[in-house]
Amino acid sequence: MARYIGFRLLAAIPLLLAIAAITFLISVAMEARGSIAGQVCGEGATPECITAVEAELGLNDSIPVRFTRWLGDIASGDLGSSLLDRNTEVSALIGERIWPTLSIVTFSLLIGVTLGMLMGIVAAIRPGGVADRSISVIAAGVIAAPGFIIGMLLSWGIAVELGWLDPVGYVPFGESFTGWLKSITLPSIALALPTIAIVQRQLRSSMANALQSRYVLAARARGVARTSLIGRHALPNAMVPTVTVIGFRAAAAIGLTTAVEIVFGIRGMGEMLVTSIITRNVTVLQGGMIVVGLTVVFVNLLVDISYGFLNPKVRLGR
Amino acid sequence: MTTETSPTVEAPAPLAPEAPIEPAVDSPRRRFWRRMLRNPLAVFSMLWFLVLLVAWVAPDLIATHDPFKQDVTLQRLFETPSADHWLGTDQFGRDHYSRVIYGAGFAFRSILIAMSIAVGVGVPIGLFSGWKGGRFDRAVMWVNDVLFSLPIVLLAMAVIIVLTPSLTNAMIGVGIAMSTRFVRLTRAVTLAEKEELYVDAARITGISTPRILGRYIVPNLLPSLVIQAAIISGAIILIGATLSFLGIGANLDDPDWGVMLNRSQSIFRQEGVWQIVPAGMALVLTVLSFNLLGDAIRDALGRDASNNALTVTKRVSVAAAQTEHSPDALLSIRDMDVEFPGQAGQISEILNGVSLDLRAGETLGVVGESGSGKSMTMLSALGLTPAPGRMTRGSVRFDGRDVTNLSEAEWAKIRGKEIGVIFQEPIAVLNPAIKVGAQIAEPLRIHMGMSKADARERAAELLAEVRVPDPVRRLDQYPHEFSGGMAQRVGIAMALACEPKLLIADEPSTALDVTVQGQILDLISEVQERRQMGVILITHDLGVIAEAADRVLVMYGGQVVETASAHDVFLHPRHPYSHALLETMPQNHDGGGDLPVIDGMVPSATAWPSGCRFAPRCGFATDACVSAIPPLERVDNDLVRCVRHSEITFGQPVADQPVGGTA
Repeated sequence: MARYIGFRLLAAIPLLLAIAAITFLISVAMEARGSIAGQVCGEGATPECITAVEAELGLNDSIPVRFTRWLGDIASGDLGSSLLDRNTEVSALIGERIWPTLSIVTFSLLIGVTLGMLMGIVAAIRPGGVADRSISVIAAGVIAAPGFIIGMLLSWGIAVELGWLDPVGYVPFGESFTGWLKSITLPSIALALPTIAIVQRQLRSSMANALQSRYVLAARARGVARTSLIGRHALPNAMVPTVTVIGFRAAAAIGLTTAVEIVFGIRGMGEMLVTSIITRNVTVLQGGMIVVGLTVVFVNLLVDISYGFLNPKVRLGR
Repeated sequence: MTTETSPTVEAPAPLAPEAPIEPAVDSPRRRFWRRMLRNPLAVFSMLWFLVLLVAWVAPDLIATHDPFKQDVTLQRLFETPSADHWLGTDQFGRDHYSRVIYGAGFAFRSILIAMSIAVGVGVPIGLFSGWKGGRFDRAVMWVNDVLFSLPIVLLAMAVIIVLTPSLTNAMIGVGIAMSTRFVRLTRAVTLAEKEELYVDAARITGISTPRILGRYIVPNLLPSLVIQAAIISGAIILIGATLSFLGIGANLDDPDWGVMLNRSQSIFRQEGVWQIVPAGMALVLTVLSFNLLGDAIRDALGRDASNNALTVTKRVSVAAAQTEHSPDALLSIRDMDVEFPGQAGQISEILNGVSLDLRAGETLGVVGESGSGKSMTMLSALGLTPAPGRMTRGSVRFDGRDVTNLSEAEWAKIRGKEIGVIFQEPIAVLNPAIKVGAQIAEPLRIHMGMSKADARERAAELLAEVRVPDPVRRLDQYPHEFSGGMAQRVGIAMALACEPKLLIADEPSTALDVTVQGQILDLISEVQERRQMGVILITHDLGVIAEAADRVLVMYGGQVVETASAHDVFLHPRHPYSHALLETMPQNHDGGGDLPVIDGMVPSATAWPSGCRFAPRCGFATDACVSAIPPLERVDNDLVRCVRHSEITFGQPVADQPVGGTA
């Protein structure tokens, strides 16, 4: 297993490089459509300002030189500074904004995966039963609703009408644990509901395949009881495709959390990215992409490692 | 022993239908639409699309107001539904209903832009990459997987910042991100199709690559593409709305659903939740409709493997058997019918009136071609009829007890303990995720109440008994580390673990070489003697039957056609089918491989021939054979299902073949 994990870690390096290259291409493409330096200097830019900024950002060097320099910078944690405020380090900005985002995404995945698996198993136990059919109908509806609409409904129903939680705002973890938990609860649920539905559907369908398999038939012929058939025989095999889907959903949730944060007035990565796009502040967007890319690579690594646990063939194969 | 049979048995008239017959009057296209229209969810989604289509093509026809017209008179803001404003008004007094109607156009335009990019970029790349294969394919797929793993919203953001925010640019971004989905799908289909023989044939005859792709691969790709496109359209709408909601999609005055939600997001807490309802509902209904449509198309094309199969065998009332059980039998089956509901509502009758008796200590050989119902008989007798099939008639008695209607929990106490089953496909019946030792220990732990350590020790002994070398080390291995022959021995060890009263062995020795095969059969007969175990031996291999069986049951087309002692069947079979089976037995059968085939095919269970099911392939068939199903008649101690059994006599088919002396 250790060898397998080591191998997966090595395989993550080219993935990181590829994400860095895609991110770098954004600035190249932006420059092709108009001067970045001109944007930094603002309207009525003096030629002196342009030359100075171009020199500072190294925009006159060849693209390979710039890419290697940029790679070196991000490898050492330097994501450059904001184009609008040359004194703000992008890494510092992200360091401030990432916590609410990370809290919501992680918490939502925790809720989503746990409840999704639970409901998937419940549905697979009595297929076609009342529980299965009602879960399926609700899941179909929830998958069709974007997190930000669910968020608005929750904010209105739970927070405004019932007054159980605050409708907007974020309390940092360091300030108050319960305050933090309360502030991320509604956004996390909003993001988690589609996750629950997605995980539930996948697990139900892969449980169905597993329960139909020859090995489950053979286990029944040995007198294995239904609970053990589901938990011990079908579930580990059904989890393999489910883990893949959870990985995809985790990546999607990182993107979709932007809208949910805005509903709840939380200044996280979402608001930062949207502002950077509107103001064409490319270094901030690039920094955000690198951080998201790192997270995605990390999630992929977790998915690969769980494959190893679930599937002995994968674990022993390498 | 002289044979009086006519030599026509060697070459029966090829009357057998070549393809499985479906009661097909309809073209696949008509069947598809009939299924779609019968599915209420599909009809719902299609109706919703119809409304949206009208709203897109002729919005002013159904809109009641100008979607941009503001009415800032105070009392006209934030209205709830009224006769004038059916869905109320927004913060500028604009009519929600009309804005939602005009929003349909934005939604469709979004799909058009994003989908044409996604398909236009994704499909050619997937086709080309899958077709070329090799290093090129790996490189393309690697890049594709990198893009695939990144959040779509983020990729779209990257495109938007370069091109500046607008709905078109947002959709270009979404289209590029979505193209990775189509690359994957197209490549997978291309890879699979490339291996098909007709594609090979086309290649050899020198048809150009683009023509092969266009003529053979794209048509096969189309159904999956349509299903995927429906579901991705929903995702495009959803992500498009998210981007517009974030303010980096459609223009902030446009009646786009995402923008409407963006506008109401800052005010709904004060002005009431109604502000998010019109656009929110339109959005959710549209995405839902796309998802439902995708599912419905998949179902209508019969592509869903998991849905109908999920049903665990429903307990239906089983009609009683018409005949009495034999009192001294260990296992007695009477008049068993098993049916499978087919796709278009027709029912396939897999088993028809199957009866058999097995006494303790006896070995019954069950023979017949694939599809004759041998394995299904055994599964159904144990309450293991695969869903959605069900036993509709008959009665099963085991060890003096009626087991026809036992619950799964009651069966669990009998299966594995009193009845052991050896399955075909030895690797497929082992759970790939569980160590082999733990799987062998399972029946011991469940039925004998052994501790983990004891069961493990016993499992090692069992493996040694079935001649698995190095059994202790093998316990900690996984099934994929076992060869077919070794896995088969594991299956045998599991079946015999609790020393059952009845052993059902479905092709127990096919995966094994001749020496081991002999050892395994010896092992089975050893347990048989010690425990007075009854054995049902299902096999293609008549050599094994000749060696091991006391009595033989011949099945054809889901029916029993003959039962007799092994001696009688080999010396003078009464049914033409039994005779034909013996004819195809190689002189020096080495015990491996399948039986050579009889001309023609076993007919499909949806369309049994009228009358005798073997008649289309039978050299002796007359008009009397096809008029009604022949009854199973008693002749001496044997049973035979043939109207001409008294007219035809078969002798020993191979003169120099001593009975019981094969293998």
